[in-house]
Amino acid sequence: MDSVRKEHPDTKLLELLVCPLTYAPLTYDAEKGELISEKARLAFPVRDGIPIMLVSEARQLEDKAPGSAG
Amino acid sequence: MEQIFDHALLRQRRERAFRAAVKDADFLAAHVAADMAERLSLVERRFENPVQLHGVTPVTADLMEATGKTARFRFVADGMLDGLGGREQIVADPELSGLQDGSSDLIVSPLSLHLVNDTPGLMIQARRALRPDGLFLAAVPGAGTLGELRQSLLEAESHLTGGAHSRVHPFADVRDYGSLMQRAGFALPVADREDIVVRYDDIFALMRDLRAMGMTNAMAARSRTPAPRLLFDLAGEIYADRFSDPDGRIRATFAIIHLSGWMPHESQQKPLKPGSAKMRLADALKTDDVERGE
Repeated sequence: MDSVRKEHPDTKLLELLVCPLTYAPLTYDAEKGELISEKARLAFPVRDGIPIMLVSEARQLEDKAPGSAG
Repeated sequence: MEQIFDHALLRQRRERAFRAAVKDADFLAAHVAADMAERLSLVERRFENPVQLHGVTPVTADLMEATGKTARFRFVADGMLDGLGGREQIVADPELSGLQDGSSDLIVSPLSLHLVNDTPGLMIQARRALRPDGLFLAAVPGAGTLGELRQSLLEAESHLTGGAHSRVHPFADVRDYGSLMQRAGFALPVADREDIVVRYDDIFALMRDLRAMGMTNAMAARSRTPAPRLLFDLAGEIYADRFSDPDGRIRATFAIIHLSGWMPHESQQKPLKPGSAKMRLADALKTDDVERGE
């Protein structure tokens, strides 16, 4: 019922965030609605416009450098 | 890093408290939030990028916004907060700020620093997330908090079993927090203490309130066997015996430590270098120099 809630987080909010593991900046994948930490190879979900910066909730990225995943 | 507090359990306790939603259970948070907002209102500045770091309710941000000294807050919390009214939130681990360096000009931490395993680490993160001349304000329960309860439980348990478990969290004192602020690199750090004394009918009313606030024991090294009712009965007697007012109600102290510190900036006052004085002390004191022999 909260009409102000938007699906995508504000770009200004995204600029504030860092990866909780590497402290590196993140990039936003608008299609999947995920915040990508390249260094940690993790994708953090965004739910109801709220970035969930918990490693336990993140998805492991596996699409880069086959063989070196792990 | 040694895990002193069990964060999963803390979250459970808090969720239980929210589900129960006991009326006025947030009185302590509201009281401390009002104190913090009053302290902020004395600062001759307006803050455009304020962040509330790991509070359980948005009440501190609400009251600070009401002073007119801040723009709308953003929130960092380890779970979804209620009552944000469309304000932005980030979910982050309780040990982390989750914020980029220099991204904020005001960070407030209401009643949460004491539950962190690495307090200096979180303070340093908060400082780094501030712009030069940004302000960090925190309120945290300090040594003396629930001292009456701690003493009554210890005594009752050692009487019953000949030993005792830690049943009340350890709290640091005002000097420890002051030096932690300094070590974290804050300029002009200030730490002071304000005791809030709450009166209850008995120890069970106090425990009910702690549960309603989600503030019961969440130490990783807590006793895993449930405490027998007998322990609380005896502790209740000791409590009532030692820490009650003439009308029979018992006192519970919450020793709230208020911290403030600034991200260093050139414009801030600094001590002069030794030997750089331009005026004689004797002149300032309007006395004559006195030669002192052995």
